[in-house]
Amino acid sequence: MTEKDWAHERDVIVETISRLMIPFIQLFALYVIIHGAGGPGGGFQGGVIIASSFVLYLVAFGLAAAGKRFPERANNYLMSTGVYIYAGVGLLCLIASLGAAQYLNYGFIPLTHMFEENRALGMDLVEIGIGITVGAVITEIFFNLVWKQDMDETEKEGQE
Amino acid sequence: MKQISLVALIFIILLGGLFVYVAEDIPDFGDPNSAPNRYTPLFTLDAAGSVGALDQGVVPEALRTALEDRGFRDYELPTSVKKVTDGEWDGYLVPDEQYYKTAIAKFGTAPDAPKEQKYYFIKQEGDTLDVYRYAPIIRYVEEGEHETEVPNMVTYILADYRGYDTLGETTVIFTAGISVILLLRRRGKKPQ
Amino acid sequence: MIIEEFLAKYNYWVAIILILIGLYAMIAKDNLIKKIIGLSIFQTAIFLFYISLADIGPLPRGTAPIVSEEIIHMGYVYVNPLPHVLILTAIVVAVATTAVALGLVIRMYEEYGTIEESEIIEKERKL
Repeated sequence: MTEKDWAHERDVIVETISRLMIPFIQLFALYVIIHGAGGPGGGFQGGVIIASSFVLYLVAFGLAAAGKRFPERANNYLMSTGVYIYAGVGLLCLIASLGAAQYLNYGFIPLTHMFEENRALGMDLVEIGIGITVGAVITEIFFNLVWKQDMDETEKEGQE
Repeated sequence: MKQISLVALIFIILLGGLFVYVAEDIPDFGDPNSAPNRYTPLFTLDAAGSVGALDQGVVPEALRTALEDRGFRDYELPTSVKKVTDGEWDGYLVPDEQYYKTAIAKFGTAPDAPKEQKYYFIKQEGDTLDVYRYAPIIRYVEEGEHETEVPNMVTYILADYRGYDTLGETTVIFTAGISVILLLRRRGKKPQ
Repeated sequence: MIIEEFLAKYNYWVAIILILIGLYAMIAKDNLIKKIIGLSIFQTAIFLFYISLADIGPLPRGTAPIVSEEIIHMGYVYVNPLPHVLILTAIVVAVATTAVALGLVIRMYEEYGTIEESEIIEKERKL
């Protein structure tokens, strides 16, 4: 196999359809994360759906274009941001419940005036954090499995 | 065929045959009164003078001593009894007093406190009393909707009652991402 | 009688057949990718088995665990939601394991030049 076999071939149908579909897939992922409280769904499921939209971008437009659009540095920051959000909400509950220190008891965060409503809102915050981490990790796994150092050089040679 | 695939085939068939012996002990799926779904049986008592006390809502002494003899601690003994139907009673206790006192002090109208929780189930069969213990899923199914205003049972169990496990789960998938980066951070082969 | 026993617990039989297929693929196949496929079949069969234990009763059959007032009035009961919660965690662990296994296969290909297990053992013996 020569290096020419790895260069990306452009296809009109795949590019057009993915340009139409990717925003709607991401909107659906956001819907699944937020409506995890009212129906089936939640953080893990929504994170995987948003990662699948990035993978569709990679398949349709090639590795060089996807590498420019989703830089690795941003992905690394996003991976740890979700875990920080989750542990940070727990620490906030620890601070807000002064007497009985309870970690991850969302009822004490003073967002609304009812104890039960605070628990539902704390759950939404936590699900957003989980969604961010899972999306970034699955994107990272897929891009690393496909990437090869001389493939970037081949793409640059192909464009020149 | 190669040697290892023949050995593997024989091993698999033996495992499948072993499962046939085990399968007759597994109950048919979907038993509403079995251990993980509703309650587990603990022991049986003599119904000597206890039925009258149970009807009035007082925990009889025989029940308390029987529970203490079997190793239940002080805060796990029932404090009140309520009647469900003729011959069946629910034993209640208050599991976490400090939590509710703090919540009331902050919010005023916290969850109705002190909040009692169903723990034991006592049934009369002729001359003996059977004592059961409710599975923890009963609290999540019956009172989860009131305590958290979220309809989806799986979400509020994952993110609220078992939220600490989900924090560990997020760390697990973060670790998988990190290890894939560490493994595949390589130099490619230069084409020649 | 045997046919009735067989049909009453069909979910256990389906799960055990898939477990045996996955285990055979993990042991007896040479290609490393086929071993990973066997691992994935094994894990999926375990999830099916565990969730099918969560059903309630011959009649009335349980419905999905989302609390809603109309469903309670119609007389349904809810399935046990605890196995669903545990299997969500287990699915994430399965994804993590498969990802790391695929990364290891890529590294082995770069080191040895092949992904057949017998050829790798031959090369290790020569070293």
